[in-house]
Amino acid sequence: MSGMFVEVAPPTLPAPIVAPAAAGGRGRTARRLARRLGRGVVPYLYLVPALGMLIVWIYRPLVETANYSFYSWNLSPTQPATPVGWHNYHRLFTLPELGGSVWRTLLMIIGLLPFTIVIPVVVGLLSREVRGRARSIYQALIFLPFLVAPVASAAVWQWLLSPRTGAVNRATGSSVNWFHERWPALIAITGITGWHVLGFAVVVVAAGLASINGDYAEAASVDGASRWQITRWLTLPLLSPTLVFLVLATALLFAPQWTFPLIDTLTQGGPVDATTNVYYLLWEYGIQSFDAGLASAAGVVFFLGFGLVAAVLLWISERVTIHDD
Amino acid sequence: MSRITVENVTRRYGDVRAVDGVSLDVAHGDFLVLLGPSGCGKSTLLRMIAGLVSPSDGRVLVDGNDVTEAPARDRDLAMVFQSYALYPHLTVERNIGFPLRARKQRKADIRRRVAEVADILDLGALLDRRPRALSGGQRQRVALGRALVRDPGAFLMDEPLSNLDAQLRTATRTEITELHRRLGRTFVYVTHDQVEAMTMATSVAVLNRGRLEQLGTPTEVYDTPASAFVAGFLGSPPMNLLDAEIVSRDGRLHAVAEGVDVPLGLDHPSHEGEQVRRPAILGVRPEHLSLRPAADAGPAPEAGGVPNGSAPNGSAPNGGAPNGGAPAATLRGSVRSIENLGSEEIAHCRVGAAEVAVRARRPAGFTVGEAVVLTVRPEHTHLFDRESGRRLVWQPDRDPQVPAARVPVAT
Ligand SMILES: Nc1ncnc2c1ncn2[C@@H]1O[C@H](COP(=O)(O)OP(=O)(O)OP(=O)(O)O)[C@@H](O)[C@H]1O
Ligand SMILES: [Mg+2]
Repeated sequence: MSGMFVEVAPPTLPAPIVAPAAAGGRGRTARRLARRLGRGVVPYLYLVPALGMLIVWIYRPLVETANYSFYSWNLSPTQPATPVGWHNYHRLFTLPELGGSVWRTLLMIIGLLPFTIVIPVVVGLLSREVRGRARSIYQALIFLPFLVAPVASAAVWQWLLSPRTGAVNRATGSSVNWFHERWPALIAITGITGWHVLGFAVVVVAAGLASINGDYAEAASVDGASRWQITRWLTLPLLSPTLVFLVLATALLFAPQWTFPLIDTLTQGGPVDATTNVYYLLWEYGIQSFDAGLASAAGVVFFLGFGLVAAVLLWISERVTIHDD
Repeated sequence: MSRITVENVTRRYGDVRAVDGVSLDVAHGDFLVLLGPSGCGKSTLLRMIAGLVSPSDGRVLVDGNDVTEAPARDRDLAMVFQSYALYPHLTVERNIGFPLRARKQRKADIRRRVAEVADILDLGALLDRRPRALSGGQRQRVALGRALVRDPGAFLMDEPLSNLDAQLRTATRTEITELHRRLGRTFVYVTHDQVEAMTMATSVAVLNRGRLEQLGTPTEVYDTPASAFVAGFLGSPPMNLLDAEIVSRDGRLHAVAEGVDVPLGLDHPSHEGEQVRRPAILGVRPEHLSLRPAADAGPAPEAGGVPNGSAPNGSAPNGGAPNGGAPAATLRGSVRSIENLGSEEIAHCRVGAAEVAVRARRPAGFTVGEAVVLTVRPEHTHLFDRESGRRLVWQPDRDPQVPAARVPVAT
């Protein structure tokens, strides 16, 4: 018998189709190039409006601020700005109030943390069992102060905390003159700000808790963990990204900035600078005294300082938080 | 040591009864599989056993102790979740050690025990990783390790293999069976995969819409399905179910429908004026049908000749009727399509208005459109009630004077 074994060939691609346009010439290639270029540009065109806004409203003022910080100028359009080098920065760092205002900002941050972290977490953990409509109503109620304009709430609180007729003093029987004594003023400003942002923090924490997969707690309870162990070992660690966000918001937003309208309407930084934080200081020196150079220098320093704080907090959060995926 | 008893348990969600009056008794060392289609209440039942969902009605007992009100942590059960529920911020080592840590065991003991379990599950190299850095199969092992670490009374598993690919699933299936054999613990295992149920279980509970349809060994559930639902759920393709009528003809009972005439091998001496007509569902497994071309007429010689006891189910013997054996049952139809499964092929035939699948060894040599005759041995036929769907068994009359006039429903 004659014959031979032949291997079955593996499947191959069908023969490539020869492009019939090979002879199309130069005009064709150029057009194709233009089309490809056009396709590359289009996505950036979509971004132009947003980028334009960013540049006009954020980056340009930032650069101008940095620029003004090297000039002496009183904001008057008729007055020329005179270059003074690093003088504004020197004045800023030798301001007698600067250290105190940073310290008081820190106190406000610490004083706000119970409102933005502790109470929301406790309330969030306790109210997890509340469901349905009751939950929505309760969250709406607690969120409400966040929507009240700070100046309006300042008026209400001024009345509530007035020394003789105020509801607070009458209820507690104390005679504290809230906005005219050093520590009470600081406590009042911090407390009212806390009252403002508490609802926001509660809602943020509730959302954070809701996003934690319920399987973990169930698995842990079958594994024999108590409620407290589950809270400590699972819920709080898994909530940490939310908590870092709230710390960040407290340090960068609530304590320095959200206090501002209250300070301005209730104490004007007093008594004896007891409620002057860094933003209020910036406002006093820069805007109230028409010292654009100093204000700009302060702006630049705060920008860098808060940027540093944000970077450190974010770095820490990258280290400690777990993103559940 | 754990024996799990579920007594008449019901769970309602609003108007929906997710689990409806289910009773089970899982003996110590049993491997019970809860099997059923999606949404039939398997997970809900398992979670009630675990203590994660409380029953609206009924009791759950572990070793005879009523634990219906006891929280999950006091039940000494371990559960593997479908999602594995590995704690994302903890390393594999701490995940596995978690149940021991919750029980306040000593650090050194935990470490030693985790190492042992990791050894069994081949996780030694992964102990420092976090769950997100693991593959699906590795996560599954860690979940298993967390259950194994503290030697619980029983293991509860909710579709633990459903996220794995086919190959890994087969491998892990064998491992879990092996684990069960070695540990001798009670397992309650939820799946909708009948292959898992058939291969792993010592007993299978088939659920449908929250109700228990049948409880039995894998063989019983497959060979003598207690309801049309069970028959239609198990097997791939599942049992063919055709609407038929039971009639008596020449003193014998037949199940007939359009294109179908199945002698049941049961004597039924008819009296004047008495006609039996009982609607039923006729069930035949695809592998019990044999195909031949329609032209090749005449009864199939090999299919008849079952002298006795050829009732629709083997367990209920015929009333001793000395009939010379039932002729082969025939179904006439035509081939609609053919599926090639490699070793076998499935011919889908149209018989009357019904679709009938036939499993045949390759090459069966049939072509689409061909008219065929399907034959089946009477003992391989199943009958179910048209209304309730429950299995029908033949009960011979005690008193030979009174002829059987009905086919009673057995449940
Ligand atoms: N928390 C709940 N609220 C309302 N209905 C529910 C709830 N949990 C389950 N159900 C309903 O109960 C029924 C059974 O659900 P269950 O999760 O036990 O099904 P299953 O058999 O595990 O299904 P699958 O195989 O898809 O996991 C379903 O109809 C489901 O919609
Ligand atoms: Mg399920």
